[in-house]
Amino acid sequence: MLVVDLFVNGLIVGLFYALMAVGLAMIFGVLKIVNFAHGEFYMIGAYTYVLVALKLGVSPWAALPLAAIAGALVGWLVERSLMRPLYAGYGSWSIMKDEYAVVVTFGLSLFLINLVDKVVGPYPYRGPALVETSRFAIGPVMLNGQKLIAAGVSAALLIGLALFIKRSLWGRQIQAVAQNRLGASLAGIDATRTTSLIFAISGLLAALSGALLAPVINPSPDVGGFPAVKSYVIVVLGGMGSVWGAMIASLLLGVLESFFAVYVSYDYRDAFGLLILMLVLIFRPQGLLGEKVREL
Amino acid sequence: MSDARNLWSHRLAVDFRAALVVVAVLAAAPIVVTSPYTLGILIVSMYFALLAMGWNLLAGFAGQFSLAPAAFAMLGAYVPGLLDYHWHVSLAVGIPAGIVGTAIVGWLLGRVVLRLRGPYLALTTLSFAEIARVVISNSYDFTRGAQGLNVPTLMQSRVGYYYLFVAVVLVVLAGLFFVMRSAIGRFWLAIRDDETGAESRGIDVVRYKTLAFALSCAICGLAGALYGTFSQLVSPELGLLLQTGIVIAMVVIGGIGTLTGPLVGALLVYLASEWMRGLGNVQMIVFSALVIIFARFFREGLWGLVARRRVRALPRAAAGAR
Repeated sequence: MLVVDLFVNGLIVGLFYALMAVGLAMIFGVLKIVNFAHGEFYMIGAYTYVLVALKLGVSPWAALPLAAIAGALVGWLVERSLMRPLYAGYGSWSIMKDEYAVVVTFGLSLFLINLVDKVVGPYPYRGPALVETSRFAIGPVMLNGQKLIAAGVSAALLIGLALFIKRSLWGRQIQAVAQNRLGASLAGIDATRTTSLIFAISGLLAALSGALLAPVINPSPDVGGFPAVKSYVIVVLGGMGSVWGAMIASLLLGVLESFFAVYVSYDYRDAFGLLILMLVLIFRPQGLLGEKVREL
Repeated sequence: MSDARNLWSHRLAVDFRAALVVVAVLAAAPIVVTSPYTLGILIVSMYFALLAMGWNLLAGFAGQFSLAPAAFAMLGAYVPGLLDYHWHVSLAVGIPAGIVGTAIVGWLLGRVVLRLRGPYLALTTLSFAEIARVVISNSYDFTRGAQGLNVPTLMQSRVGYYYLFVAVVLVVLAGLFFVMRSAIGRFWLAIRDDETGAESRGIDVVRYKTLAFALSCAICGLAGALYGTFSQLVSPELGLLLQTGIVIAMVVIGGIGTLTGPLVGALLVYLASEWMRGLGNVQMIVFSALVIIFARFFREGLWGLVARRRVRALPRAAAGAR
């Protein structure tokens, strides 16, 4: 019954991946850039959670929303200070916007990693768990309480995000700006504010994902690299810029990796995802699901 | 007459002369600097200068933002290392093999990513770099994994190594100058500025893009191969994404798309980071902040700021006649 265990645990990992990847997909959908500092939003969430809970003695349940706020704030600040040249028609890299985005987000990633390394220290912290339980089995599936709760929160957040984008006014504005920035602003939508909102949401989700996993991953300054690479793979797999595609691709990758690690090679499980990324970009750049799901 | 100053060939010539001055200063440095430790730092900074020039050829001149320069340096360092470790092939064969090998891999990568631009290209090259590093760190039997591989040295003399690096920097610099002055260089600039436009004017985009990849990766491989024999140890850490980040920082701070910029940027950043190591390891914070500031406000980098002052000093009419 190893297969069922692998499948369910793969799905749970996929939920965590999704929390990271949808933010990246939304940013790509609206600005057509890859945010190479996305993993650092995750790192900031994990650190905020751990430090608030450990140093201030606050309950982990209260530290969780604080981590989310910290992530949203950082995302918003990044957009305000660095992303404006991509669409506001000024800035010195006018003909090389893609390259500007690569350089700036890559630089930001290094900056945040080294800043945290200097200010907080390079050693990993052990995060407090939301609930203290040992591992238990449901049928053939091995689980623990923290994982189950984190998976539940992730699933609830993803459903909430889906409803937000589909139903709410802000969500529809996001969709409009993703489809056509000029058209949206002609229709009276504040495209600039919407872009800030997207970065804030993206930072919030990534930070929450880091905070939820903090008891498992024991955050160190470079902890964001691994989930960031996963979310690049997912965003490519799901079709760049598609939130639905990213959600499906996250679950798919979680399951695939969990099987690959057991049946093929544990050492190469990370290279496996990257190989998928390269192959998809080269042979099927529209993503596995194709153009139909390309709306945000 | 005076608006000739804005022509590419003129700017390139000025740029090249400035870079030659930097190399001359480097060549003269051992007169003053005698401590082997300081010479070692200068040698490593020249290794980064070679990487920066290699990456700048691809990103700054041909407009292809690869995130794999450090991976190619790692590959270039491993080829002579592995040849020596398994088959006792001498460095005289190993180093050229490293250069040719990275050029071929670079050419293949260039073929594969031909249709990809901007973020897609960045992601694909990043994946390539990480896969190469993961494979090398995990193939313990063949590469000795994360422990690293011992590489024989070319010579015992540190001053000898120093002049070897100065000579290689000079050769690469001169090579870049002549290529950039030729039609190939113009084709690269055209592809960078408008790929579709360049193709519509009959430029063989496929050929020149893959050529840029091959040459750039060969320069990175050369840098890696030399660095491997200098440090006598190669490890997968050479290919860390952080190293690529440092190279990008050097080029952006020095001035992307110029000859002097990457050279000066690499020397300044590396020397300053050695200096800041004593001030509490703040170097990476400072440089990543500088990259963001330069990219945001001074796209041309340090050399661009210097060169722009020269153009500003011209009469208005000449500057406007561009």
